[in-house]
Amino acid sequence: MKTATIKNYDKKFREKHSDEADWLYEHRREAWDSYVKSPLPDRVTHLWRYSKPENFLLPEAEMSLSGPAAERPEEKRNRIPLPDHYTAISRYDGDMNIRTAVNPALESKGIILRDLREAVAKGIPEVKGALGGLIGYGFGKFEALNSALWNRGIFLYIPNNTVLEKPVYLNRYQWESVSVSRLLIIIGANSEATIIDANSGNPHSSKLANNGVIETFVGDCSHLRYVHVQDFPDNSASYFTQRNQVGRDATSYSVFASLGSGISKYDVGTILNGKGAESRLFGLAFGNGKQNFDMHTVHHHKFGDTYSNLDHKVVLKDKANSAYTGLIRIEKDAENCEAYQENRNLLLNKGPKAESIPELEILTDQVRCSHGATMGPIDPEMIFYLKSRGVEYEQAVRMIVYGFMEPTFKLMPETLRDTVRQAVSRKLEG
Amino acid sequence: MLNENTLLKFNNIHVEVEGKEVVKGISLEVKSGEKHAIMGPNGSGKSSLANALAGHPAYGITAGEAYLNGVNLLDMDATERARSGLFLAFQYPLAIPGVTVANFLRSAVKARFGEDSIEMRDFRKILKGKFELLQVDPSFATRYVNDGFSGGEKKRLEILQMAMLKPSMAILDETDSGLDIDALKIVSHGINSTLTGDNSILMVTHYQRILNYVNPDYVHVMMDGNIIRSGGPELAIQLEEEGYDWVKSETMEKVEA
Repeated sequence: MKTATIKNYDKKFREKHSDEADWLYEHRREAWDSYVKSPLPDRVTHLWRYSKPENFLLPEAEMSLSGPAAERPEEKRNRIPLPDHYTAISRYDGDMNIRTAVNPALESKGIILRDLREAVAKGIPEVKGALGGLIGYGFGKFEALNSALWNRGIFLYIPNNTVLEKPVYLNRYQWESVSVSRLLIIIGANSEATIIDANSGNPHSSKLANNGVIETFVGDCSHLRYVHVQDFPDNSASYFTQRNQVGRDATSYSVFASLGSGISKYDVGTILNGKGAESRLFGLAFGNGKQNFDMHTVHHHKFGDTYSNLDHKVVLKDKANSAYTGLIRIEKDAENCEAYQENRNLLLNKGPKAESIPELEILTDQVRCSHGATMGPIDPEMIFYLKSRGVEYEQAVRMIVYGFMEPTFKLMPETLRDTVRQAVSRKLEG
Repeated sequence: MLNENTLLKFNNIHVEVEGKEVVKGISLEVKSGEKHAIMGPNGSGKSSLANALAGHPAYGITAGEAYLNGVNLLDMDATERARSGLFLAFQYPLAIPGVTVANFLRSAVKARFGEDSIEMRDFRKILKGKFELLQVDPSFATRYVNDGFSGGEKKRLEILQMAMLKPSMAILDETDSGLDIDALKIVSHGINSTLTGDNSILMVTHYQRILNYVNPDYVHVMMDGNIIRSGGPELAIQLEEEGYDWVKSETMEKVEA
């Protein structure tokens, strides 16, 4: 990066963030410094072996991104209708504002869903303590970029002892060509929530670039179900980093369904941060054309008696590529952990390529841990079996592909299953 | 010339697998309502014939002709053959992980009889009856096709499919192999109950055992890619008693004489 931009940025930055809290302003400044000073990641490092860092730079637009949300009256913010079956909903609008609504019956319980910048402005104390706590600007160059420039932020807060029976729905639709987004979720102790995070974008834009960070804190004895659907248009380059910290005796089910984007790089992980914590992380990627998926998952066992299970399934056709790297790290004092990892790849023709690399850093002996990967085409005998029952070739392929994913669907909590299944069907039926 | 009630007829069929000829010019005519058995030792080409007739792409028919109900079988792919009423009960049925037995059967029934051929409620009722017929636990409906099934369970599911799909011409490829006597009786009962007098079966088998329960009208002995002898049911009994060497030596004598 040219050093000249720092100075330039500084001036513009002051103008744009004059209304932001001092601590956030400082945080952004430091993040920008960090971004500018850190070199592009070296392709030799394992996390960057399968993606070009240049693809995730945000050229030119960088400078104009960040800015205060437009002033708007309270009633305008709450104008989106809230369907009965949601706890809360948020939506990006073309005017850079984020509309949110919480079911009135639940707002009194202290549930907060709002624009992250507003949450900062209102001085909600939880925000300051948590923002950047899992993914700060020291995490990496692109995370520093995000910390400096995020302009689309959502804050979700669910207090202690709150069980949400209906999902929180985040409809993150990218209107503009460049989006830097941040999602901060805090769930108190002994609570339960389902969050559906739908990410898509304007297909008429010539090219979309996005950089997203998701930080999730799950309190002790709480249960989080989170599904992330990535369905950006194929001309998008998507870079997402997620960390999910799960407390004592808490459980987390996360699903990452990657369907869209020409180029995408995801680094998602759960930190088991208390005894008895449990995480199940499901990945599904379905690519065609020249799509390139780079998926990295982390299960970090910081405490003993914790459980993790990673199940990543990939279906590729045409010339689509997938690289999966999965880290299981178990700390020295974390005894009696169980950690499982499985990555299966189904290649529908001869064009696609898939790679699968497990990474185990296990610093204690008292663990049960396994990993496995498979890769290959549809068994032609399976096709013949279905054809011999009168099923046409195309339908036979569809049945086998659904069947390949079905065991994963079955393991998902019911509230997530339909959302993901529908998203996959849309892509499969083309 | 095709007889009016000829169901399956093939002439001089040659089959190649990986460049090797395994069926060397077989002809056979199966009339409506007939039960035929093709017996032969391992490697005689009988399973290859069964797979080739069903349209398996790895079993290429290099010469000959075959007709089902007077329609050229060789112009059709496996899907079309199945829809025309041909059925193959597999020797080694495949597992299809993630596809439940119920979904699989519903897709097959719709493929065979048409999208709107059956109401969901009727389908469930019919399926329940077939589960009872083959003495398969109803919980199998929600299990994945052949996934973790025992050999006997797989064979029962094959005949259950046959009972659901009502083929006019069923080829049963060693359906008896791996079955104990109880399972053999159940499967045979299932086969017999699908016979209406109009539809036909062609049983491919190594042993005579199943023929005690599903009585064939004709028995053909296959060896080294050829049918070397045809006869009535008594041929099967003679084979069981004297072994394949007997028919082989007898054939040799004939050739030498």
